[in-house]
Amino acid sequence: MNCDGSAILSAQGLVKSYWLGTTQVPVLRGVNLDLARGEFLAILGASGSGKSTLLHILGGLDRPDKGRVLFNGNDISSFTARQLNDYRNRRVGFVFQFYHLLDELDVLENVYLPAMIGKGLVGWLTHKRTAVQRALELIDQVGLGHRIHHRPWQLSGGERQRVAIARALMNKPDLLLADEPTGNLDWATGQGILALFGALHRSGQTIVMVTHDQRVASQATRTVFLADGQVQPGHTNPSSSNNSKIG
Amino acid sequence: MYRWVLALRYLVSRRVTLIAVLVVALCVFVVFVVMTVMNGLVGQFKERTHSFVGDCVVATESMVGFPYYDRFMDVLRSEPMVDSVSPVIRTYGLVALAGRQDAVGIEIMGIEPNSHFTVTGLGQGLHLHRDDPQTAFCSQADPNIPGCILGIDLVLNRDSSGEYDYRWLPLKATYDISCFPLTARGALERIGTGYVNTKRFGFSDVSHTGLAREDGGLIYVHFDQLQGLCGMSRPPARATAIHIRFKPKVSLQHGTRQVEGLWDRFAKDCQGMPQADLLGLVRVQDWKTYRKSTIAPMEKEQIAMIVMFILVATTAVSIVLVVFYMIVSSKTRDIGILKAVGESFWGVIGLVVNFALLIGLVSAFLGVLAGWLFLRYINQIEGWLFARFGFQLWDRTIFSIGQIPNQIQMGVVAVIVMCALLVCLTGCLLPAIRAARTQPVDTLRASPI
Ligand SMILES: Nc1ncnc2c1ncn2[C@@H]1O[C@H](COP(=O)(O)OP(=O)(O)OP(=O)(O)O)[C@@H](O)[C@H]1O
Ligand SMILES: [Mg+2]
Repeated sequence: MNCDGSAILSAQGLVKSYWLGTTQVPVLRGVNLDLARGEFLAILGASGSGKSTLLHILGGLDRPDKGRVLFNGNDISSFTARQLNDYRNRRVGFVFQFYHLLDELDVLENVYLPAMIGKGLVGWLTHKRTAVQRALELIDQVGLGHRIHHRPWQLSGGERQRVAIARALMNKPDLLLADEPTGNLDWATGQGILALFGALHRSGQTIVMVTHDQRVASQATRTVFLADGQVQPGHTNPSSSNNSKIG
Repeated sequence: MYRWVLALRYLVSRRVTLIAVLVVALCVFVVFVVMTVMNGLVGQFKERTHSFVGDCVVATESMVGFPYYDRFMDVLRSEPMVDSVSPVIRTYGLVALAGRQDAVGIEIMGIEPNSHFTVTGLGQGLHLHRDDPQTAFCSQADPNIPGCILGIDLVLNRDSSGEYDYRWLPLKATYDISCFPLTARGALERIGTGYVNTKRFGFSDVSHTGLAREDGGLIYVHFDQLQGLCGMSRPPARATAIHIRFKPKVSLQHGTRQVEGLWDRFAKDCQGMPQADLLGLVRVQDWKTYRKSTIAPMEKEQIAMIVMFILVATTAVSIVLVVFYMIVSSKTRDIGILKAVGESFWGVIGLVVNFALLIGLVSAFLGVLAGWLFLRYINQIEGWLFARFGFQLWDRTIFSIGQIPNQIQMGVVAVIVMCALLVCLTGCLLPAIRAARTQPVDTLRASPI
């Protein structure tokens, strides 16, 4: 549901390989992928199949050797440094496999960090109220309202992942990219996270989630497979994310 | 904005930053204390020299002196920028306690106390006749002979606290002072019975200028007495210098240039008059130039010290650089995260620079605070060290220093704080660029464990 058919993101012929000394290790060998606005897509693949690599390229954190990524029809490799920073800051929210929160900031600060980026003292002071407001809402939404002044190392893995999700949503991104958001969590905690994704999707959020777990992938509206460096068309799960509740 | 927040958190959470803070603070402390004391000493010395010399001097290097000084003094007195003028003879002679044979070589200065005490601060350094020109040259023992003022170190010793014990003033002493009268051509002149002219003077006072050379080797007598002794009183009478004090608002350069012009014209007008060629040796100089030979070495020491401080700063820069490299290396993941959420190249540079500025500010504050406390009690500390261990930074029996100068100059503080900030900025530059170049994927792929 919620898909309006227009492609928000489209990967065309992505090729990426790593060099180990003199040997070339091909990871992506021509990935084609279209993502409709409002879609909840799962990319399923074995460990080492290049899922993270693909997601990094889609999020503008890495560059492909060949091919291009179109965001709303614009090639992100042609972005200026400023446009690319804006893309990372406001267009895309990235949830990392290993949370990657800043230990020196507390939960609240970690969540509103993306809103602080690029703002001077005056800019920040004028935005602070609304930013803190939104951050508190998001933290509430991920169920950590009572922990806002805790530091990341005082939280469990699942709690950290939820903080990371709240941070990714801070600037109301067009696109949420999640790299194995449940990979390091037990099943029940993972279910909570997935329920959260389902709720987000229902509210219109476009999501791309990477996983190696079939059961996790089944929560998405569409699944594709990444194997041999290429995306194999998968199947659609008609009503998958509608049956979960927010955890 | 978050950069300051994050920089502050890094500052308090990373122990290595403490090392950088301590190193920079220590450098600030050392430079602050040494600069303050050194500047104080040099300033004190210059002030004393200025007080001793007056603003400007018209002087000849020849011991023969120059004629028509009195006429030029009249010219000067009619100038609105001149406050007062005073003629001086400075020469060499011999002095011995009256009736004894063991004469020693000495410098002798002839002054007119009335004018000289207004041109210079000499009168304030007298002990018994402080600022009293009338009785300055009255002999203490015998009112019938002229008096002389002795440089204080000639007759009194300093105790370990730098104080003179005035109970030992030789109030009853009389001295035989001998001079070598010179003709205008510089030959020894026969006066009375011989080539040497001797006269007896009674002790009248001691002069404390705070200048080692003057206090330890100069006797002052009345200008007229010395003129006679040196054979300079026969017309046209001669002197070796005219000391000038300008009116308060006259700048040193401007006043000196004016006097120079006046002198050139005066010397030209005197052409053809007897002994007029002696005028060619006369120079007009402000007090700094006049005493260049003693001021310049001190200023050179000051410069040498600044060069040493630059070396200190270089050390500080390298330590800051190492510390920043360590911090940046241990924080690549954080930087990767920041870039992943949209921070720019310059934003990361800004973060590191803010961090550096913070370290600079904190350490400058600590260094200046410690320096301020230390300077405030430096004399007590030195006194305590002396009382406890017999250690004295400057041996007061040798150096003409009362208190260690500890007047804090805001200019010095400002320069040092700026330098501390500069040191931190220079030190963080390379690490900042390295951090800003970080590619997010390179640091975020790995798990934080
Ligand atoms: N910087 C690199 N240098 C060399 N090889 C790399 C580098 N990054 C990734 N690889 C290799 O590329 C392949 C794909 O890595 P990637 O992290 O994208 O896999 P993944 O599908 O996300 O795996 P996982 O499920 O374990 O996270 C792996 O074989 C990996 O070893
Ligand atoms: Mg991965």
